[in-house]
Amino acid sequence: MLQLSPLEIKKNRTFIKVWTITFLIVFPLLIVLGLLMRLNQGEEINLGMDKFYVLMTLHGLGMAGLLFSTSFAALWYLIGTRHVKLNLGIGYLVYFLILIGVIGLAYATLLGKFGAGWYLLYPLPFKNAIWPAWSTGLSIVSLIILGVAWLLGMLHVLYVLAKEYGGLTNLLGWQYLGKKEVKKELPPIVMITTISLIPGVIAYLAGAVFLVMFLMQFFEPTLTFNMLLMKNLIFFFGHTLVNITLYCCLGWVYALLPEYTGRKWVTNKVLVYAWNATFFFIIFAYFHHLYMDFAQPLGLQYAGQLASYFSAVPATAVSMFGVITQVYHSKIKWGIVPLSFLIGVGGWAVGGFAAVIDATISVNLVFHNTMWVPGHFHTYMLGGVVLFIFGFFFYLSHTREEQEKDISGKAGFWLFVLGAHCFIATFYTGGVNSIPRRYADYKGIPIESTHLIGAFLARLAAICIIIVIIGFLIMTFAILVKLIRKRVAITEPVQNS
Amino acid sequence: MPSKTIHIIFITVISGLAWVISFPLNEWFSDTMPRHQLLQLPAMLLLGILAGLRYSRLIPIRFPWDVALLIFIMASLVFWMLPRSIDTAVIHPAFNRLMHVTMLAAGFLTITVLRQTIFEIRIAFMAMVSVMVFVTGMTLVTFNILLCSSFNIDQQKETGLRLLITGMFFAAGTLFTFFSGLGKKT
Repeated sequence: MLQLSPLEIKKNRTFIKVWTITFLIVFPLLIVLGLLMRLNQGEEINLGMDKFYVLMTLHGLGMAGLLFSTSFAALWYLIGTRHVKLNLGIGYLVYFLILIGVIGLAYATLLGKFGAGWYLLYPLPFKNAIWPAWSTGLSIVSLIILGVAWLLGMLHVLYVLAKEYGGLTNLLGWQYLGKKEVKKELPPIVMITTISLIPGVIAYLAGAVFLVMFLMQFFEPTLTFNMLLMKNLIFFFGHTLVNITLYCCLGWVYALLPEYTGRKWVTNKVLVYAWNATFFFIIFAYFHHLYMDFAQPLGLQYAGQLASYFSAVPATAVSMFGVITQVYHSKIKWGIVPLSFLIGVGGWAVGGFAAVIDATISVNLVFHNTMWVPGHFHTYMLGGVVLFIFGFFFYLSHTREEQEKDISGKAGFWLFVLGAHCFIATFYTGGVNSIPRRYADYKGIPIESTHLIGAFLARLAAICIIIVIIGFLIMTFAILVKLIRKRVAITEPVQNS
Repeated sequence: MPSKTIHIIFITVISGLAWVISFPLNEWFSDTMPRHQLLQLPAMLLLGILAGLRYSRLIPIRFPWDVALLIFIMASLVFWMLPRSIDTAVIHPAFNRLMHVTMLAAGFLTITVLRQTIFEIRIAFMAMVSVMVFVTGMTLVTFNILLCSSFNIDQQKETGLRLLITGMFFAAGTLFTFFSGLGKKT
């Protein structure tokens, strides 16, 4: 266990507090954008197409970026207070670069009306765009800044861990596969961090390529790049980023859940095989985003389906089984932290399963452009990642006793879970009723029943979002009160029995 | 041999090579785009790197100057890849020599900074340079309009293709440096 001075602990806590407060401010704002979108689809307000797509772009880019950044920051805090000393100077540099990137994106979308979606569907931003060219340029530069920030952060964590644990192979847990005795135990959080961040670094390279290509075209609009190549690069970057967000969260579930169950959760051969397999499959799973692209070689489509199936099995199955063995007959006290983790894992499992269904080529042909797709990613993001993040925030702000007795926090939590899953259900119901996704509204659909069901589900979703916001605000209040008023020494984990 | 003599010989050789590339061979290098962009420019960069390998330790560079210098190097590379810069360099030898001096400085500073900066910034810089070279190559291959009036479209595409391949090698080198950096034990 890492020994830190009180001053170092304080500095680390200040760093994570900054991230916590940033999340608690930005997240509800981004939810409100989603609410406005659903109200527009429900024909309760009239945003107009241009504003709808502006909101959709900021909501998508903002949520993906915020959730990854926060899950990475939490991972940073747990690793930096338990396993290796991380450079907080780099931590703050990353934070401020992200802030600059987010401000740039907000400016480009809200004021510049940039509305090409998170995927910046090429060549959309450059062909007959209804927004000014500068907003496209600003969005690209902002995304490059965000990418550089994440890259620096990821490289720093990986480098420091590699130095501490004796190289990359040890970080991947390969020492457990041999017959030799393992000299230094590898905590699962460290292995999962490595397996999450290395694909992140590689995906960032792909992201940088397409962003610089976008920048080139911004300066020279007559340029035309290969659209299929662009789409491959964009989705490799985007899919991997979202995937590793989940894995970062799982890292701290592996680290924190044993403190509540009192059971060890250590690295072993099964865990190493499972996560190393994930490491490989995560790189190729993104092909399932391109099933609709007839020009994509058929072999890659099959590879996408297989990689999606295989990537889901090892980490998911092993982690689910691990969580069950952790909590089964463990006499765990169901405070808000283990509850968040357990229900978050549930959200991850359901969303992941829905994703695997959608990654099946024959199913995707039907579901691809329906509400099923936002349904599945909202399940593992809102019903998974966000709950993991809240679990971590409660862990950070509350003592063990407060976690168990905080009635308001629990009330907010259950309200949030209820609202979130009802909200998600409107997406799935929309999916099975062929309600198209990415439509600003359904007025133009000639099939009247589709129009009516789509608008009705959107109104229902808006009500659910309001419940989510109320739950969120209650939890935020509970966290902020504890976080600001007193200092809780949480950095020392309870030793496993 | 005394070290002072070695220094004099080294500097003379580097300066001599720079002079040969910049003056007697300038016309030959400016004849085609691949020669200008893929031979003359990298040659000057390489000479700068060689000088850097020998003398970089004499100049201590600490954060945030390392970041500032890397931005300067990046900006220099971008500037000398702009079509207008290339055209002007081919038309005006004096401007071309300015490019040579910049590339020598960039090469020298690259090795000086990369040796002293932290791992994270080193990898981020290498990644961005490889991406930049790759995308420039991709642009030149894709673009069907002549960008530099001093050359022709075939030369432009040939330069693009070779830059594309160079970018891939750079990316492979970045990944190699990244993984070998992680592989080093304490």
